[in-house]
Amino acid sequence: MTTSRLQSPGTTLDASAVTSAARAVHAHKVYGEGDTSVVALDDLSLDLPAGEFTAIMGPSGSGKSTLMHCLAGLDTLTAGTVSVGDTDLASLTDRERTLLRRDRLGFVFQSFNLLPTLTAEENITLPADLAGRAPDPAWLATVVAKLDLGERLSHRPSELSGGQQQRVAVARALVNRPEVVFADEPTGALDTKSGTELLRFLRSVVDELGQTVVMVTHDPGAAAYADRVVFLVDGAIVEELTAPTRERVLEVMGRLGE
Amino acid sequence: MLRFSLRNLLVNKLRLLLTLAAVTVGVAFVSGTYVLSDTMVKAFDELYGGLTSGTDVVVHAEPPFEADVTTTGGLLRPLDESVVETVRDVPGVAAAEGSVAGFALILDAQGKPIQPGGAPTFGTNIHVDRAMSGAGHVREGRVPSGPDELVVDAQTADKAGFHVGDQVTVIFERGRQTFTLVGIVGFGETDSILGATLAGFDLPTAQHVLGKDGLVDEVDVRAEEGVDAAALRDRIAEELPDGVEAVTGEQAADDAVQSVRDALGIFTTVLLVFAGVALLVGSFVIWNTFNVLVAQRRREVALLRAVGATRRQVLGGVLVEAASIGLVSGALGLLVGVGLAIAIRSLLSVIGVDIPTTSPAIDPRTVVVALAVGLGVTTVAAVLPAWVAARVAPMEALRDVVPAGRGSGRLRHTAGWLVLATGATALAVCAWIGNQRWWTVAATLTTFLGLVFVGPSLARWLAGLAGHGRRGGAWRMAARNVGRNSRRAAATALALTIGLTVVAAVAVTAASLKDSVSEAVSGGNRSDLILEPAGAGMGISSSVADLLRARDDVEDVVELREWGAQVDGRSTLVTGLDTVGLDQVIDLGVKTGRLSDLAPGRILVSSTKADDLGVVTGDTVVVSFPEGGSHEMLVAATFDKGSLINASYIVSMPDFEDNVGSRLDAAILMTSAPGIDADQAKAAIERAVADYPNVTVNTPADITREARQSVDQLLGIVTALLLLAVVVAILGIVNTLALSVLERTRELGLLRAVGGTRAQVRAVVRRESVLMSLLGAVTGIALGTAAGVALARALADEGITIVTIPTLTLLAYLAVAVLVGILAALGPARRASKVDVLRSLTAE
Repeated sequence: MTTSRLQSPGTTLDASAVTSAARAVHAHKVYGEGDTSVVALDDLSLDLPAGEFTAIMGPSGSGKSTLMHCLAGLDTLTAGTVSVGDTDLASLTDRERTLLRRDRLGFVFQSFNLLPTLTAEENITLPADLAGRAPDPAWLATVVAKLDLGERLSHRPSELSGGQQQRVAVARALVNRPEVVFADEPTGALDTKSGTELLRFLRSVVDELGQTVVMVTHDPGAAAYADRVVFLVDGAIVEELTAPTRERVLEVMGRLGE
Repeated sequence: MLRFSLRNLLVNKLRLLLTLAAVTVGVAFVSGTYVLSDTMVKAFDELYGGLTSGTDVVVHAEPPFEADVTTTGGLLRPLDESVVETVRDVPGVAAAEGSVAGFALILDAQGKPIQPGGAPTFGTNIHVDRAMSGAGHVREGRVPSGPDELVVDAQTADKAGFHVGDQVTVIFERGRQTFTLVGIVGFGETDSILGATLAGFDLPTAQHVLGKDGLVDEVDVRAEEGVDAAALRDRIAEELPDGVEAVTGEQAADDAVQSVRDALGIFTTVLLVFAGVALLVGSFVIWNTFNVLVAQRRREVALLRAVGATRRQVLGGVLVEAASIGLVSGALGLLVGVGLAIAIRSLLSVIGVDIPTTSPAIDPRTVVVALAVGLGVTTVAAVLPAWVAARVAPMEALRDVVPAGRGSGRLRHTAGWLVLATGATALAVCAWIGNQRWWTVAATLTTFLGLVFVGPSLARWLAGLAGHGRRGGAWRMAARNVGRNSRRAAATALALTIGLTVVAAVAVTAASLKDSVSEAVSGGNRSDLILEPAGAGMGISSSVADLLRARDDVEDVVELREWGAQVDGRSTLVTGLDTVGLDQVIDLGVKTGRLSDLAPGRILVSSTKADDLGVVTGDTVVVSFPEGGSHEMLVAATFDKGSLINASYIVSMPDFEDNVGSRLDAAILMTSAPGIDADQAKAAIERAVADYPNVTVNTPADITREARQSVDQLLGIVTALLLLAVVVAILGIVNTLALSVLERTRELGLLRAVGGTRAQVRAVVRRESVLMSLLGAVTGIALGTAAGVALARALADEGITIVTIPTLTLLAYLAVAVLVGILAALGPARRASKVDVLRSLTAE
């Protein structure tokens, strides 16, 4: 059963109803001041249930990247709250947010995910190394096997293909068993085949390892791998789609005038 | 293209400043040295010009050879005073007066010697003919007349608080005497002649107290109105006996200034060597900076090439950028140098060296050299990077390449190790053979060249070593960054290597010198007490030795004097020693011949000098004294242990006195009568020479301690001068780090995004800096230690008999280098930790 509905602005989700991995409540984000100010997030509320694969879509400038940056503690809100688990990000210092990113979140960016001087394995264990602890060997082995990186661990990023590099980035994002993995256009720089492959991996990470993944994308095909798609326009959620298919995503996008 | 180059320059002001500073320091050193020495020469010039302005012709003995003014005081053989009459009778002479000069140490009212640091203390006669006094004039009182009167210079009067009518005691070569102060003299505007103290008498008194009764050092002549100085000089010359010459006053002043110029020349050369080290380091910094810039701008250059810039234009563009930096740093360096020279001059006057007021002398030569050095060093250093830039292919504009450092080629690697091994072997051989100064320098340079080649390999090796650390990962990331751009890291470190090589070599040499001095004193000395002039005094009156000989508690007294002379045409110091008791006060380590054979007409030669000259015991050598002329002398013996008294040639005292007018002892060596306690003896002798406050009484332990202290002092000064080079190297590290941080913005942002704290980012940059500093320090200290050992062995003739490696000092240098690395990283690390995570990740 799938539904599609317009969510009225300002609707507050009932926090106690689901186990949420992260959420935004009445999130406001304004860039600049006075006449030149731009509203990136407009009283946006969103709940990201644990163990789900959520895709965030929207036209350029809709605020989807800003939303993700704020949820991930890379950027701060002008008003409202974002939280990861029970932690309100607004109350954290820069250092505490850094440690939160290190210990409780994972990241995959569109490109330039890896430090060129470190091997694939060293890149994967970087968050653990930064925390000064050894990664859980069993989990590391699971992740490496899942992403099919066993043969590539001693290679430098320059010796890997684009798809392999992104898989290393996913493995890096997973190494600390994060509460949420944020992926910003992870397939944007990949060819179709590698992109599909990466999306399958992300899907299986959610299905088989029980991870929570949030992905920003503008590719309807990529969004179709998610459990739920959230559509943003002008900093507000305008549509939500559960169990999406490529066609239905396209249909919503068409409706939203893209 | 020119506009493009210049715009590049202004993009990053901090980088520009650091790059400029790297060369400016060296140029400032060079121009400061020139300005200082030129100003001093100019001051001397004006001073001598003023002093001799009333003198048209000067008559003095012909110098047998150009003697070194610093060892002989420029003194010539005195003339019989009858020559004054001879000259006075020459037609056209309005006035002729003899003059004498010599040692005269003035005591203040408390009996303390007035002894300016380094400047001479001299006595002379005041001319009766006022015109011939030139700029020297009596400011207060009158000219001295009679055996009990003197005048002093205004600075001395001021320092001691003397007034006309006071009683003033003066110590001479042969004793002390008290006079009535009748006048105070000044020299134009200045109070003293370059800080020297002057005691002025009438001629007969001066002749007597200076030990020159019936003699004059020179005759000063004033021509009648309208008589040409050169013509008069020629007329006077015809009347003079053999070996006496006449020169114009102008010529005499020029000669005097020339000798000052020569003496300053050594000082200038030494300073220029230090400046050279700083410039060498600076050129490495420039080379490296341009390498980095070219690497970072590859895409930009490729784009220029793609839109039609020729290779020549790219090459020219980089060189124009370098040349602009060179010119600006040359000009800046000149300004700083002039300021430095003025500051040092003020400092000198504060410590009592009164340099006549004159404007700073900025020769066109100084300006040209400053600009040329700035321009040259920078441009030459940028040639290679410019060539690399010119070879960038247009295609690179289209490719997405991160400026990754290139590794070094196999050829470079192999050749580098070969050169390094050759240099190191040569150093070892030099150290083994000893006495190979130039080979040691050549071997050190070769080894350094090898280091330049293998530097990247060493950097990678060090990076591999440091990269093993797992925990935290900051060491590993720092090590990988060093390893990634090993050429850049090596070039940065090499700047520090140069500085530390020299510093370490100097430290090893100094430590060896200190221990050798201790060894010489304990091994060669047999005297109980050694009397020396206090501070920078010129010597001890010979009357002190007479006083000692008269005492019952003193057994042997040996006076030691030294003077500049030539032996078989080579300029050197000749030592005069009393032969009686010589064997009791010192062990000269006679190798061939017998010490007891030393007598008039004979000479002792150190075995190394004998080897140099190719003479053996029984041969003859020709010894020429500036005053006494040339004599054939028989080599009576050769000796090994002359270093204690710094002697290479030793003649007996009668020969020395026949050829050298000065009766000042450089030292007196004595033994106490049997059964006298050392401390008692010292106290007794100190009381006995209380009338001569310029004499210090030392036990052998005092001598050792003082010698070690003076070596330490010299080491301190030299190290301070070399620190400039180290400062330039630090600028280089800061520059490299700043550029690296700039080019790694995205990496740093990523690191922050995945959970690297600001402190961790700072740690990565800091450790990178420490690794580079360590590389520079370890190679520099290793090379410097090896070079220092070889150098110490090369200076065996100068008395370095023991080679000591000051491990603690060297370890301290290593620690300082690490600290320097941490300090150099402060700014860049801060900047790295402030990287805006979002912007760095979303840009591009």
